[in-house]
Amino acid sequence: MSAEQHLAAAVQGVAQAPEKVAEELPNLITLLEHFFPKSHFVHWLFRWENIFFSLLVLSFIVIRSIGAARKNEFLPQGLQNRWELVFEGLSGFVTGILGPRGLEHVPFLGTLFLYILLQNWLGLLPFMKSPTSTWSTTIALALITTVYIQGVGIKAHGFVNYVKHIAGNPVGILGLALVPLMFVINLSIEFFAVPLSLSLRLFANVSSEDKLIFKFAELNVMYHWLPFFFQLFANVLVILFSFIQAFVFLLLSTVYISLILPHEHEDEHDAAQEKSLSHPRSPTT
Amino acid sequence: MEYFQENIHLGEVLVQMIAFLIVFFTIKKFAWKPLLSIMKARRERFESEWGGIEKTKQDVAALQKDYQSHLQKIEEEARAKMQEAILEGRQLAREIQEKARLESQASFEKAKANIELEVQKAKISLREEVANLSIRVAEKILTEKMDSASQEKKALEILGELERTL
Repeated sequence: MSAEQHLAAAVQGVAQAPEKVAEELPNLITLLEHFFPKSHFVHWLFRWENIFFSLLVLSFIVIRSIGAARKNEFLPQGLQNRWELVFEGLSGFVTGILGPRGLEHVPFLGTLFLYILLQNWLGLLPFMKSPTSTWSTTIALALITTVYIQGVGIKAHGFVNYVKHIAGNPVGILGLALVPLMFVINLSIEFFAVPLSLSLRLFANVSSEDKLIFKFAELNVMYHWLPFFFQLFANVLVILFSFIQAFVFLLLSTVYISLILPHEHEDEHDAAQEKSLSHPRSPTT
Repeated sequence: MEYFQENIHLGEVLVQMIAFLIVFFTIKKFAWKPLLSIMKARRERFESEWGGIEKTKQDVAALQKDYQSHLQKIEEEARAKMQEAILEGRQLAREIQEKARLESQASFEKAKANIELEVQKAKISLREEVANLSIRVAEKILTEKMDSASQEKKALEILGELERTL
């Protein structure tokens, strides 16, 4: 049995498995599972396949970015040049929305973007898988983002003001009466709706892309490579939409941070008030 | 709820979170900070060098302006000196001309006086000569007895001699 026949059998096997309908192309680990169904190690690997592919991406990012940073050349070339281009672009984007104060959030948001983007694109490589096509991966990233955003809010406002903000900044008896309701609404939005929307959007899009590629591959096998150009077109779309999804995640995270940070004009207003208090006007003016 | 349980594996979520946090803190310390600081240092150096270039440009422009004003001043001075020299030259020429004219006038006057003197001298000499000749003619006439023809001949000879002498 040739390797090609094995591959076709694996595809059909995954596709025709009665307990689970195949939705993705076979990857390295599903092939191993097919060839070594009794191996505990392969089974364990299959159980943690998303983590395995995530670690591949993480290793790539860590090794390449640190390698680029270690070059430390004043006139960058090659790897350092490419990473500087990426970092500069991300810094420009984040500081464009958040202003100069956004510079401290660039590493988090940049890492998040690169991590999601490369995970999305990983599924395009043969025998690889997009870990972001599972909800577990995207919800983990969304939860970390949520915690980071709330942490930024607490750091920027102080804990008491942050709680007041969650309580809807109550004023008067009516405001105080509405505190429980505001708590529920704000906590639901901040800690449930935001991570849910972030994670579901990414998961649904990437898993749909994987399904699309799988369906075209299936059609290619069925119709003797006739729809091959359609698959190429789908691949181009997947490259594009994977980028867009990573970008949307970055954009929304940046916007959430910008919403939770005190507005710049409020700062200016506060500063003006402090100034007027420290230099009170004379009674004649 | 079943959908959540099927799609979200808590262990996987937890490991993903830990993995992401590890990579985030690692590359924040070892990649983001060094690269951003390199870029910042480069930007600052370019800005400072650019500022230096701008300052040098301004200095060069100021120097050029200074040189041009110097050149203009030098040209004006040269022009003034040339004018002065021309005026001096003209003055000198006039003086030389005047002097030459005066000298020529003086030498002309002198020559004229000399000529007049010479003429006077010649006149005196001629008068003396004529007187001498007259005396000699008279002497000869008185000393020699001559006929009228020979007297006439003699007188012509004396006149011819007189012409030769003059």
